[in-house]
Amino acid sequence: MNKTVKMSARHLNFFYGNFHALLDISLDFFQNQVTALIGPSGCGKSTFLRCLNRMNDLIPISRVDGQILLDEQNIYDSRVDVVTLRRRVGMVFQKPNPFPKSIFENVAYGLRVNGVKDKNFIAERVEKSLRQAALWDEVKDRIYQSALGLSGGQQQRLCIARALAVEPEMVLMDEPASALDPIATQKIEELIHQLKKNYTIAIVTHNMQQAARVSDYTAFFYMGKLIEVDVTETLFTRPKHRQTEDYITGRFG
Amino acid sequence: MPSHFHQELEELKILVLHMAALAERAIQRSTQALFERDADLAIEVIGGDKEINLLEIEIDRQCLRLLALEQPLAKDLRVIIGCLRTAVDLERIGDEAVNIAQRAQFLNTRPPLPPNPGMEQLADTALDMFKSVIAAFVNENEQQALDVCRMDDTADELNVRVLKNLLAYMVNEVPAIERSVQTIIAARCLERAADQATNIAESVIFMIKGVNIKHHCQR
Repeated sequence: MNKTVKMSARHLNFFYGNFHALLDISLDFFQNQVTALIGPSGCGKSTFLRCLNRMNDLIPISRVDGQILLDEQNIYDSRVDVVTLRRRVGMVFQKPNPFPKSIFENVAYGLRVNGVKDKNFIAERVEKSLRQAALWDEVKDRIYQSALGLSGGQQQRLCIARALAVEPEMVLMDEPASALDPIATQKIEELIHQLKKNYTIAIVTHNMQQAARVSDYTAFFYMGKLIEVDVTETLFTRPKHRQTEDYITGRFG
Repeated sequence: MPSHFHQELEELKILVLHMAALAERAIQRSTQALFERDADLAIEVIGGDKEINLLEIEIDRQCLRLLALEQPLAKDLRVIIGCLRTAVDLERIGDEAVNIAQRAQFLNTRPPLPPNPGMEQLADTALDMFKSVIAAFVNENEQQALDVCRMDDTADELNVRVLKNLLAYMVNEVPAIERSVQTIIAARCLERAADQATNIAESVIFMIKGVNIKHHCQR
C-alpha cells in the first residue's frame, strides 16, 4: 500500500467567530487513497473538508490555527496563491452545480480561467476529463448542448469532470452522491474507485455504507473533534472508541 | 429506547440461547441414556434433534435477513457472524448427542462393560464446557470463554484415557470388542462436543473483542 502522505492537517483549529468548530485536528491523507470523513451533522467534517482547499476563507468571521500541509507546504502560508491551491485541490459539492453553459464549456471552464487558449489542447482535455468521469460515452454526441439538460447523476459526473480538467492532485468531495438515486450513486462510487489511481481523495459522507464501500481510511468526527481514524475495514468491524462504535451502530444519543 | 434493529438482534441472541438449551439437554440426556442404560431417553434425544436442526435454519434465515436489510457494522456485525457460527456448532453438538444416543441404544441391549470413570469425567467436562460457554455468550465474558478453550485439553486427555482403557480391555475380552468400539465412538462424540464448545468460545471472543483466535487459542 502506498503510504506517501499527500496532505496532512497538524493541530488544526477552526473558529466561526467565537465558536470553536474544529478542535486540534491532526489527520494524514495518503496519496492515491480515499479517506472518508464521517460523523453526525454539525460534527465539523464538512468544515474540515473546506479547510483543505481554503474554501472557508470566504467566510469573513472565520479563523484558522495550525497547519495543513500539501506536499509538506503549509497551505495557510501567506505566500500561497489560493487560486493555484484550488487548482491543485479540487472540490465536488453535494448538489451538482453545472454552469448554465454547454457540457463542453463546463469542463473547459477551469482551463480558460487559467489562461489556456490552445483549442486542440482544450478539446483533448475535455474529452479526457469526461472519460475519467465515466460520462464521455453518454454525452459525446451532445457535447455542445446545455449541461442543464443532463440528469442529476450526469450533472454530478460533469462536475467531477470539471474538477478533473485542471488536473488537480487531490479531490475533495462533500457528500457527492447524497442527492442522487441508487444507480447514479453506484456510478459515482465506481468512479471514486477508478479516480484514486490518479488522485488522492477525501470524501465527506453521511452514508456509512458508502464510506465503507469507497474508502481506504475512515475518520470519525464528533463535536469538532477527530475521535478515531483507521483503516476502513478496522473502523467498521472493530472500532477502538466507544463513541465510534455507538455512532456506526446507530446507538447515538 | 433500543432501535427495532437492536431489538431484533436481542431476539436473535434469544433464539441462539433457545437452541443452546436444546443442545445442552440433548448432550446431557444422551450421556444419561448411556450411563443409566435408559432406552426411552435415547429415543427422546434422537427425536429431539429435528427441533435443533429447524432452529439452525431459522437462525440462518434471521442472520441473512439482518445482514441484507440492516447492513450492520462493528459489534452488531460481529454478533450476527458469531450467532451464525454458533448455530452451526450447536447443530453439530445436537448430532453428537444423537450419535451417543444411538450408541446407548446398542449398548443397552448388551451386558454392561466394567466401570470406566474416564468416560463419566469426559461427559462432565464436555457438559461443563458447554454450560460455561453459554454463560460466556450471555454475559459477554471473555475470560470465561478463554477458560473454555483451555478446558479442551482436559477433554482430549480424557478421551485418550478412555480409548487406552478400552483397548487394553479388548485385548483380553474378545467378546467385548463391539461394545468397547461403540463406547470409544461415544467418547469420541463427547470429545467432539467439547471441540464445538471451544469453537463457540472462539466465536464469543470474536463477538466481544473482534479478534479471531481460531487455531491458535491461547492456552
